[in-house]
Amino acid sequence: MSVMSMRLPRSARALRLEFKRNAVPYVLPLLAAVFFFDTLRTADGFAPIWTLRASAIGDHMLFEFSAFAGGLAAWAGSREGRRKTVDLVAPTPRAAWARRSTALAGTLCWMLLAFLAGVAVLYIQTAVQATWGGPPLWPVFVGAFGVIVVTVIGFTCGVLFPGRFTAPLVAIGVLVVYQTGLRQALGVATSSGTYALLSPGNGPPVVDTGVYYHVAPDLSIVQVMFMGGIAVALFGVLGLAPGLRGLAPARAALARSGGWLLRTVAVVLVACGVAASWTAFALAGTAKPDAVGGWEIPALHSAASDQTVPVTRDCTSSSGFQVCVHPAFRFYLHDLAAAFEPVAAEIAGLPGTPAGAREVASVSGGQDVQSGTSVSPPVFEFTAEHVGAMFGQFNGIPDPAGWASGFQQGLLDAFLTGRPPHAGPVPILLGPAQQAVEDALLTAVRSQPLGPSVTSAGVSAAAHRFAALSASARHAWLVAHLTALRAGAITLAQIP
Amino acid sequence: MTAAEILKPPTARAGTVRPIPAGIRLTWLHLRTRRVPAAVLALAVCGALLHAALYWHWAFNSGPYAQQIPMIIEAGAAAMIAVTAHSPFGETERATGRWLPYLRLLAAIGLTGLAILALQLGAVGENLNDGIAVLARNVIGFTGLGLLCSLVTGGLLAWTLPLGYMTFCQYALLEDWTAPWTWPVRPPADRGAWICACAVFAAGLLLFTIRGPRARLSDDS
Repeated sequence: MSVMSMRLPRSARALRLEFKRNAVPYVLPLLAAVFFFDTLRTADGFAPIWTLRASAIGDHMLFEFSAFAGGLAAWAGSREGRRKTVDLVAPTPRAAWARRSTALAGTLCWMLLAFLAGVAVLYIQTAVQATWGGPPLWPVFVGAFGVIVVTVIGFTCGVLFPGRFTAPLVAIGVLVVYQTGLRQALGVATSSGTYALLSPGNGPPVVDTGVYYHVAPDLSIVQVMFMGGIAVALFGVLGLAPGLRGLAPARAALARSGGWLLRTVAVVLVACGVAASWTAFALAGTAKPDAVGGWEIPALHSAASDQTVPVTRDCTSSSGFQVCVHPAFRFYLHDLAAAFEPVAAEIAGLPGTPAGAREVASVSGGQDVQSGTSVSPPVFEFTAEHVGAMFGQFNGIPDPAGWASGFQQGLLDAFLTGRPPHAGPVPILLGPAQQAVEDALLTAVRSQPLGPSVTSAGVSAAAHRFAALSASARHAWLVAHLTALRAGAITLAQIP
Repeated sequence: MTAAEILKPPTARAGTVRPIPAGIRLTWLHLRTRRVPAAVLALAVCGALLHAALYWHWAFNSGPYAQQIPMIIEAGAAAMIAVTAHSPFGETERATGRWLPYLRLLAAIGLTGLAILALQLGAVGENLNDGIAVLARNVIGFTGLGLLCSLVTGGLLAWTLPLGYMTFCQYALLEDWTAPWTWPVRPPADRGAWICACAVFAAGLLLFTIRGPRARLSDDS
């Protein structure tokens, strides 16, 4: 007997044996490869915003962990039945529930260890790149409880239906349920069913989620309660498993002294688990959209969640045009300033020219905010989600020229129409003359105007004419006609 | 009385026992030890699951998301086939006759055909995105992976590789990968995808037939 085994209590020794003989380590390389491709690469494609990156835990990581957690737990749970040793181990002094709990704990510990290691890699990668904020914990809790509930479901299926097909059947069953929930969650609306809100998988949130407002934990609490309730109830079912499998008389005869107590505890656990899940389900049914794009559950909602996060924007100024963004998007600041600078120089000195550009919250009053020019002082306000007709500009810079052009168009859209920032789904729409002038100004700063396939031949011709003028001639014409242009009173033929 | 008289088996009455050809009996015993009848039932469950998913619109009707749930079920069907690779007799069985490789080949091909049939029946009358051709190609490719995996992990854990590859393909599907080795995400007429899927199946089938599944690792767990 080794020194280690002498020191450890019996339960710890059994757990150590379960660790050693567990099948999860064999699958870890495969899981790591899938994690690298699916979760890590997907998250790397997002802007380094904590809430956005953390969404990969529920949307991607939980999916791949579900397949293996469910299957391998079913594999571990079906061990006695698969090997036909149920009768052999029944007379052992330890209760079947304790024995199975050790096997479950072994699988669960391995899966949670792997899950937390994955979260650590994801968060370390984000920490290296992020410029503001800290790691959100609720997505980790939801993901961890997702792994726990899938493991317990798999283990219980393995105990109740032992066989070689149980593991793959549980794995695909769990994945189908996950994908069905994801499909519901992606199409979620106020009229959607409760199932959609209980799904831990969802689409990525808007890019500035958690930046200007706190993310209310209401939905996460309900999801944890729902999954935890299922796990507790199924753990109780494991205590009743010998009776459910028709072995009750043998168990009662062999362990008569403590049998009733164990069964009572098991029944209480089942009742508590069902109650918790039912409560969570009922609470999810009361959810309503909040003002910042999330979900609010009145019984759980804290008013503190609705407070704005105090922020001092990071600004840079070149040629007198100041560009300010939230510190979370500091890494875009110089690219933004470089994008705005030539257009700002082109329109400098004209009436209503914005003195700068400022990034603001992308959701207000439950609606998307579209970019525009604030009146006093005139500043071009845009969001991380919407700039002119473009959306998702802060999700990354796949094409630097196109990315810069999007911001330039957004600035000119607001300048040529004079529209202030507004809430709603429709961005600023330009008239033909406004579009022609915008295209000409973009051409003048060597940017990419809209293609001929988008604009009409008349707009293109007018844009060519106007772009061919000298800078001073364009400036003089705009000084004289800008008010009429904004009012839509200029026709294409009137553009020189 | 001699010992020969005592050990002499009782004679059966004429007409009560029909002799079963040895080949059929051997095949049936082989299939039973691999739990093939239960596998057929599991494949039927997969077909029913596919039908339910399509009937109740658990997945999206079009776009890359539409392929996700069918792909899971196809990988699941392949996993069932891979799991039948396990033999309860292990290495002992390999020394008993020369028919074992042929029986393995027969069982694997037959179950693959049955899996395609079961899933095809599950999709009858419903709108399966990308059609039956992709379904068959995915089952073939995933089964090849499962058979290859059984050489390393043993039959009972051979479901892990098809399901692992499928989870990767879910990512590749949404990222619109075009490499032929990501055959589950390619369109039905993609020749490279067909070549890759068939090559994996052929390699898996060949090695599985010749070498058989590993008889140790998964038995120890």
